[in-house]
Amino acid sequence: MSVEEQIRDIVANIVHVDKDLITRDSTFKDIKADSLDIVQSLVAVEDAFDIEIPDEEAQNFQNFGDFVSYVESHVAEKEKA
Amino acid sequence: MNQPLKGKLALVTGSGRGIGRTIALKLASQGADIIVNFFRHRQAAEKTAEDIQAMGVKTKVIRANVGDPTKIDGMFDIIGNDFGYLDILINNAASGVGRSAMDVDVKAWDWTMDINAKALLLCAQRASKLMEGRGGKIVSISSLGASFVLPTYAVVGVSKAALEALTRYLAIELAPKSICVNAVAASAVETEALKFYIKEQLMPDTRQPTPVGRMVIPEDIANLVAFLCSEEAFMIRGQTIIIDGGTSIAPFLAVREEGSQ
Repeated sequence: MSVEEQIRDIVANIVHVDKDLITRDSTFKDIKADSLDIVQSLVAVEDAFDIEIPDEEAQNFQNFGDFVSYVESHVAEKEKA
Repeated sequence: MNQPLKGKLALVTGSGRGIGRTIALKLASQGADIIVNFFRHRQAAEKTAEDIQAMGVKTKVIRANVGDPTKIDGMFDIIGNDFGYLDILINNAASGVGRSAMDVDVKAWDWTMDINAKALLLCAQRASKLMEGRGGKIVSISSLGASFVLPTYAVVGVSKAALEALTRYLAIELAPKSICVNAVAASAVETEALKFYIKEQLMPDTRQPTPVGRMVIPEDIANLVAFLCSEEAFMIRGQTIIIDGGTSIAPFLAVREEGSQ
C-alpha cells in the first residue's frame, strides 16, 4: 500500500468519513474534521511512519496533498539515512 | 544570585510555550537543570532550551505525547539513562476540547483525560522511582474549572478535578518518601494560546480583570510553582493552591457593581 493510501486510511478512520471522499485537493474542513481530528490524524501518521510532523510544519499544509507530500519526503529521507 | 535549586533536575511537561515555558525559565533562574518536554511545537521547545542554556544550567529537550503511556515510558527511560535521577516534576502539559458536556464524545473525553489526568498518574509513578532516596517535588497545573462551571469547559474541568483528587492521593502515598505533591489552580491566564483559542472561536472570551485589576499572567503561576518546589513549602501536602487575584471568592462582585450604578 502506498504512503498516500495509508494516510488516507488513517485519516478516514479518525474522521469517520468515506476514504474515497478524501482527494489530494481536500482540506480538513472539506471532510468536516474538527481540531481534535486533525491532531489525532497527525499523531497517528507520525506513529505509523515513525516521523515527526511539528505543528509549525502542519499549519502550512493547504490540503491533503501537501500532507501526503510532506510525509513522503520524510519517509524517503529516513530510508536514505 | 540566590539559586536554591542549584544541582536539582526538573522535568517540566509541555514547556515549549506559555505557562510551561515560564515555569521552566523560573526554575532555571533558581539554578535547576531543566528537561524541556514538548509534543507538537519543536521550534518553541528548542527556543526554550536555548534560553535556559543561556542561564548557565543544563537542559535537554525530549519529545513525548504525555497522553500516550508508551511515550511517557520512553521519556522516563531517557531521563533514567541520561541522568539517573529527578528532583522536580512539573505536570503542566494539557489539552482539551472546548465543548459543553452534552456535546462531549468518547474520543474527546479520552483524549482530554489521558493528557490532563492519566499523565500525572503515570509520570508520578515513574518520577517517584527517580526521586527514591533523595525526595522530590511534584506540582501540577490545574484550573478553576475543576471546581466551578466554565463555558464549554466540561471535559477539561472534569479532568482537572481528577488531577486535583489524584494530587491528594499521591501526596499521602509519597509523603514517606519525602516527595511533596501539590497543585496550582489558576483562573484564565493571559497566554498566546488563550488569545488564539478566542480568536479562532474555539472557546468563549472569558477574559476579565480579577479584583486585583488585571488577569493572572504566567509569571504569577511560575512564582507559586517555584515556592512549592522550595524547602519552605515542605509541609504543604496535597493542596491545590488557587491563584486568581481573588476572582473565585468574589462571585457577586460584578453584580454588585452593576446594581450600584
